[in-house]
Parts: sequence; C-alpha cells; structure tokens
Amino acid sequence: MLNLPRWQTIVIIAITVLSGLFALPNLLPASVLNSLPQWYAQNRIGLGLDLRGGAHFLLEADLRSVLTERLTNLSDSVRAELRKQQVTYKDINVEPGRALIVTLRDEAQRAKAIEAIRTVDPSLAVSGSGDTIRLAYSDQELFRRKKEVIDQSIEILRRRVDETGTLEPTITRQGDERILLQVPGIKDTTDLKRKINQTAKLTFHLVNEDVAAAGANIPATLPPTTFLVPTREGMQELRRTNPKAWEDIQTANPRMSPEQICRRYQPQCLPVLKRVVVGGEDLDDSKATFDQQGNRPIISFTFNSAGGRAFCAATRANIGKRLAIQLDGEIISAPVVQGAICGGSGIITGTFTTQQTQEQALLLRSGALPATLTIIQESTVGADLGADAIRAGTVAALVGTALVAIVMFAAYGPVFGGFANLAMLVNLLMVFAGMSILGASLTLPGMAGLVLTVGMAVDSNVLIYERVREEKALGRSAFSSIATGYERAMSAIIDANLTTLIAAVLLFGFGSGPIRGFATTLSLGLLTSMFSSTIFTRMLLAVWVRWRRPTELVI
Amino acid sequence: MWKPIHLFAFKKKFDFLGKRKAALILSTAVNVVSILAVIFVGLNFGIDFKGGIALQVRAKQGVAQLDALRATVGGLGVGEVSLQEFGEASTVLIRIQRQEGSAQCVAGAQRVMQKRAGAGWQVKPGAAGTGDVEFTSPQALDGAGWRDAVSRVGLTVVERQLPRGTTATAKIDMSPEQRAEWCQQVAIKLVEDAIGTDYEIRGTESVGPKVGDELMTSGIWAVLATMAAIVVYVWFRYEWQFGVGALIAMLHDVISTLGIFVLLQLDFSLTALAAVLTIAGYSINDTVVIFDRVRENMRRYKKLGLIDLLNLSLNETLSRTLMTSGTVFVAVLALVLFGGPVLYSFSVGMLWGVIVGTYSSIWVACAGLVYLNLRPDQLRPADDEPAKAKA
Repeated sequence: MLNLPRWQTIVIIAITVLSGLFALPNLLPASVLNSLPQWYAQNRIGLGLDLRGGAHFLLEADLRSVLTERLTNLSDSVRAELRKQQVTYKDINVEPGRALIVTLRDEAQRAKAIEAIRTVDPSLAVSGSGDTIRLAYSDQELFRRKKEVIDQSIEILRRRVDETGTLEPTITRQGDERILLQVPGIKDTTDLKRKINQTAKLTFHLVNEDVAAAGANIPATLPPTTFLVPTREGMQELRRTNPKAWEDIQTANPRMSPEQICRRYQPQCLPVLKRVVVGGEDLDDSKATFDQQGNRPIISFTFNSAGGRAFCAATRANIGKRLAIQLDGEIISAPVVQGAICGGSGIITGTFTTQQTQEQALLLRSGALPATLTIIQESTVGADLGADAIRAGTVAALVGTALVAIVMFAAYGPVFGGFANLAMLVNLLMVFAGMSILGASLTLPGMAGLVLTVGMAVDSNVLIYERVREEKALGRSAFSSIATGYERAMSAIIDANLTTLIAAVLLFGFGSGPIRGFATTLSLGLLTSMFSSTIFTRMLLAVWVRWRRPTELVI
Repeated sequence: MWKPIHLFAFKKKFDFLGKRKAALILSTAVNVVSILAVIFVGLNFGIDFKGGIALQVRAKQGVAQLDALRATVGGLGVGEVSLQEFGEASTVLIRIQRQEGSAQCVAGAQRVMQKRAGAGWQVKPGAAGTGDVEFTSPQALDGAGWRDAVSRVGLTVVERQLPRGTTATAKIDMSPEQRAEWCQQVAIKLVEDAIGTDYEIRGTESVGPKVGDELMTSGIWAVLATMAAIVVYVWFRYEWQFGVGALIAMLHDVISTLGIFVLLQLDFSLTALAAVLTIAGYSINDTVVIFDRVRENMRRYKKLGLIDLLNLSLNETLSRTLMTSGTVFVAVLALVLFGGPVLYSFSVGMLWGVIVGTYSSIWVACAGLVYLNLRPDQLRPADDEPAKAKA
C-alpha cells in the first residue's frame, strides 16, 4: 500500500503541479499577470454578477402571441388559396397559439381543400373529420419555430444591448421560452431597457446605378438624392485590415453617418437613393431556404400588405437595377431586381452558401423583435455591494481555512496535521484549477461552498488518521498502521463523499445563478478532495515513512 | 515539535443507546414542534419563492431612519412592505410583496412618468379583463420617442405594440400576467423616486409572480429528489435497515432545520434551500461512517448483542465523528461571523445542520437500527465476501 511505483508518484506530482499552474493566474496580482503571456494569464475564474456588480435579467418571450399572429397570417393565405381553387368554406378560425380550423360548406371538397392547403404550407399537420379541417403545427415544427424566435431574439438583443461592443453581455437561452441577459458592471438599468426597446433600422433603397456605373468606389460628388453607404463586407474587410479605424468608428460620439465613414476610411461603399422603398417594420419574415430545384441556397422574405404593395410598385419600375438592403448603416445585400415582385413575398438568389443564406435571413429579421419579452426576474448589484461581498467572502474563507488548519495541527501534530493541511491547500488549488478549466464563475454562495469544502475535505484525513490511531493501539508497527489505516478507511471515505456529492449535483441541476456557484465549488471540492486527501497524502506519508523510518508514530 | 492533542479520546465508554428512550422523546418533540411551526407559523420565505422585490439601500449620511423609511415606502401603494437593518446601521433591506398588476400599480406608473418625463403624462389601465395600459403624452411622439418614454417605467415593448406614425397616445397591449410582471418594475421605480435623495440604492432584486411559483415547486422537488437519491444510495450499499435508519435521521435533520428557520425567523431564500440540501447530504455523511463500522463489527463479533455492538461501534468512531463535525463547525462558524448579511441565514442553517447531524447519527440513525431489529444474520452474504477475501 505504501510502496508506490515510481510512475504513480510521477502522475500524482504532475496532477498537483498542473493544478497549481492552472490555478496560479487567479492568485497572482495584476502587475505580475501583465508580464505573463496572455494565453496563460487570461485563464482566470470569472466573478459572478453578485461579486462583480452588474445587472441580470430573465426575459420571457410571449411565444403564444407570435404563433397566433403567424396563424392569422396563414389564415389569409389559406383563404386566398381556397378561393382560387374554388373550395367554399363556412369559416376559418384561429385557435390562439395552436391551430387553424377550417369549416367547409361541402364535405365532398375535403380532399381538394387539403390539397390546396398543402400548397400554402406543407409543414402543417392535418386532422379533424367531416366538414372541419384542423391545421396545426407538428410538435417538431412548433419546437423549430419556438427555437427560431428565441434565437432571433437573442441575436437582436445582442445587437441592441451591445452596440459599442464594450459591455460584454452574456445572453443565453433558458429552457424553451426564456432568455437570460447578464450585463456586468452596469447599475442603471433604465438605459438597458431603453436599448432593449430600440429597433434596428432596416430599409430597402434603390442603388443609383448611374453613379455606380462611373466605377470609382467613392465618387467625389453625388447628386443630392443619393448618399453613400458602406457594405457589410466592406466594413468587415476594414475591421480586418485596419482594426484601429473600426474601433474609432464604433466608439465615435456622436455616431458617424454612413457617408462620413465612406469618405474617411474608404471601405467598399455603394451609392444609394435616399428614398426608402420599404422599411423593415413592414417585413414579416425571412428565412433561408432552397430554390425550386432544391439545390441552390436562397433567402425568401415576406412583407405585410402595405410593404408588399410598395415593394411591388418599386420592383416593377426598376427591373435590372439593384435593390440595396440597409441595416443599421451597412448594406447587407444588394440583389438585382429580376422582375416585379408582387404578392407580398420574394426571394434573393445569388451564389450563396447555406451558412450565408442563414446569416442573411437572420440579419433581415433583426429589424424587429419577434416576440414580446417580459422581464420576469431582475437583479442589479452595485459595484461597491459586490466589493463588500468579496471582502466578506474572502475574510470568511481565510478565517475558516485558518481555523480548520489549527484544529488539524493540534489534533494530529506537525507531521500528520501538516500533511492534511497541505492536502487542503492542494484541494483548494484543484478547485480553482477546475473552475478555470470549466469556465465557471465564482459567486458569493460559491465562496461559502469553498469554506464548506475546506471543512469537509479534511474529513477524509480525519477518517484515515483515526483509523491509523486505532491500528496503532492494536499494536501494529508504524508502517503497518498507516497502510491498514488507509485501506480500511477507504470505503467510509467514498460513502461519505458520494452522499454529499449527490446533494450538490442535484442542487446544481435545480439551481440557477449564484446557487449554481455553490453547487459547483462544493461538488468540485468534494471530487478533488478524494484525490488530495487520500492519494496525495498517501504519497507524502510514503515518502516520509521511507525517509524517517519511524519506529513509533506520533499521531 | 509539539505532540498531537487527542481532543476526543475518552477513557470512558459511553452507553449511548442506554439513553435512546430519552433521545426518542427529545427528537420526536423537536420534530413535532418543527412541523407545527412550519405549518402554523410558516417559513419566512424570501422573494425567491414568494415573488416580490428586495432593495438594499444605504443612507447617504448617518444611520438609516427605519421608521421614516417604513412610512415613506409603505405609503407608495405597493402593498405590504417590511424593513430590516442589513449588516450595518446605515444599510436597510426593504422587502416589498409581489405585485399583482392592479389599477393601483397603473396609478403608480403615472406618478413615475410624471416625475421622470414631465407633469403632462397620463397612464391609465385599458379595457377590463386585459392588461392593456394606455399612455398619454403631452406632445405627439414618434416610434423612437415612445420606445424611449415607456422604458422610463421599465416597460419593454416590441414594435408591434407601439402606435404607427406620430401620436399623443399609445395603447400598449398586454396580458394581465404580463402587466403583473411589469408592475414589479413600476414598484422599484416608485421606491427609487421616493427615497432616492437620501438613500443610495446598492442593489435591487425582483422576482415576478411566475418565477416565484416555479422556484417554490422545483425547490420542493429538489429536496425530495435529493433525499430519495441518497436513500437509494445507502440502501444499495447497506441492508435495508440502514437505509431506513439513515432516512429517518435525514428527515429528522431536515425537519428540525426548517424548524430553526421558523424559530429564528431567518430568511428562507434559495441559499437557505442550498443549506437544507447540503444538510441532507451531510447528515448521511456521519451516519454512513458509523454504519460502516457497525457492519464491520457485526462480522467480527457475531455473538455480541445489538445494543452492545452499536455502543462499541459508536465509541470507536466517536472521536472521528466529533473531529469532522468540529472541522466543519469551525469553518461554518467563520461564515456566520464574517460571511456578511447575504450569507447569514445560510450559515446559521448550516451551523445547526452540523450540530443536529452529529446528534442524529448517534441517537436517531443508530437507535433506529435497534427499533428496526437489525441482526447479524441479516447481513447480505455479498457483504461478507470482501471480508472473507481479506481474511
């Protein structure tokens, strides 16, 4: 038991040293960190909002209304299609958030009606009997749509909340219909709510082909009806080649107009007519799909009736010209008008990859939030409150660790107590290392978890040492007492740690926010203590026994 | 070099189980009282579970005037309000009940608008049965203006809810539930406006009605699931009597911890729930170590009577039991003393859990084995095998 093969000793030391290396960036002062390579120094545990200060919102998307709205739009299309196919119906009703119910006049037309509806939207599940046809989204389709709404909302929130790219917000899905928005370091949430309420400005403009035909990227003079707008690719190119310029543009206050950006930094730009053909508020939907042959990725979009009429008139008069789609001062796309687009929906074709069409469709949708987002939970922590919490947590952790160390020293003497305390420190290093690797954040309850871990981690050593004492009392030799002590204590150690670990893991599954921090430090601490308190101390004792060859154990 | 102190090396062997009747009476009394307290007095639920608002405020100068604050905040029409000093004399935790989205809240929203956007503003509830709210502005506003205006009362809207063009009124459609959630925001703004000149708002927390209800349900499930999982584990590793004994000890610890929360009127928040779950896990920790020894001794001393055997095992593990409880106790004590007001109820709960967990391992779990009539011949043969292999 105490004769460790050399390779085991090497592995144990390697794990300990690695943990130390991973934990180190968290313990060094900023001045030392700055002189270290960044890939290493940045490997630190983040602080939770309760320690760092900041705002935390849980937003709930009103998916029911979105679905009801989609179904209402669908009922218009179904109505038109049925009329076209000369199917007579009594009524078409929307069952809020769930389904569309068509009541036919003549049961005999059922098959014909279903066929007509299939052409409108093949993804609908058809049920019902006799003269009623119930059209509902399948569970799969419902799931896909919900996910789409949430993903889109997250994307829009990201754009709105972090216009300048300096706030580092964390925006994540929570379950089916919720979004968690965390913004560190801000205290005034009114401003944040104003930003959530903002709309990205999406507008369609005709390209001034006369100016564009002249060839130069940035013409010296422009007709008064025309202005320059940088393209999205142009801006991305600028960001790559001249990050300083890009940064200046983002932080400029007041914000620079698109034309100013074009003139000063000369990214790729397009001259477009100032008149807005259609605004983003009239765009109902856009999605990435494939053309009718089913192989070319395209983007399809749908306008509401007002937008559809305006778009129809503009495209009819400008076949062959380009229509620029401007989003927040950048042209995201400028497709050529192939023909009059009437009837409220159209497609954008080009040499796109599937990924590009998805991205473009998302950008087109990013004008308006698809669903109402209600704040159902909110917390803001001022920076000084966070600082107080850090101070209290740190003092408690230090005092707790010191007290436990004193008890262990007193109870088991300098050698055994010292080894247990060394193991406790290694355990703390491993928890820090584990959190760095997992990218977990430290919260105030997390600090409480650390303190608790310190108290519980020495438990394994207590179990072993008490057993060693018993074995010694039975008259075993020093070597044999230690070996048997470790062996016999093992099953109790595993049981004791696993039961607490069960509670910690379930708490992690159930909890959210700061509580997860507690569950994280506690479970990590319990897991790593099984290494530090048993395997690591056993190695220390093995080395010590071989070195000192004690005839009698002082324990 | 100093000699180790054998802190808990008792010469005398204790007859723990001789006191099992007294312990049974004591434990039953504590648990019955705890259950009655939870039912009739009730846990002092924090806003995590009840929904509501908590604001931590600090007087800009001197100490906080609790009575004046109570009168001011109580007069805002935001429902029940409770105040407590929080850590320091200058700092107060204001708790406000969860908001229901009543007409009173809409009137409050009007006061906030008038204070923050100008005297001409009006806010009225829409049609009965809906949660609609109608805003009237002193001058006509466009879309951007409306978006800006409604965010002053903490309202988040989508484009669809706003009027088209430039208008002087906007009817924001909401469901009654959405309005109730929004009223939480209104209440925070009302408090900010009322006390903002004398007090600095250090942090706010708002839990809407929906989240509160959900957390309550999932909290109960979390406790039940944890206890079930632990019992299944113990049952898997030991004979059923051990599993039942451990379960009773755990219930004893969890129930009496809830009792302490009622007795001291500690805030029962999510962190307190974390304490309860940890106690459930930790309660078993001691118990399992003793059980491990009981089983070992059952194999070794097949002839020994159960009570003597349990007493022997308890005495053998006593020093370990007290040592580990001791280390956790001092660590948690540091949390109670220095961990600050946010962790206070968690730490006090944990401290109690450590004490009661130690007691219950001895007098509940082991005494339970006596009442459950555990006998050596009931050991599963499988459990004997490792021992044989060793021998």
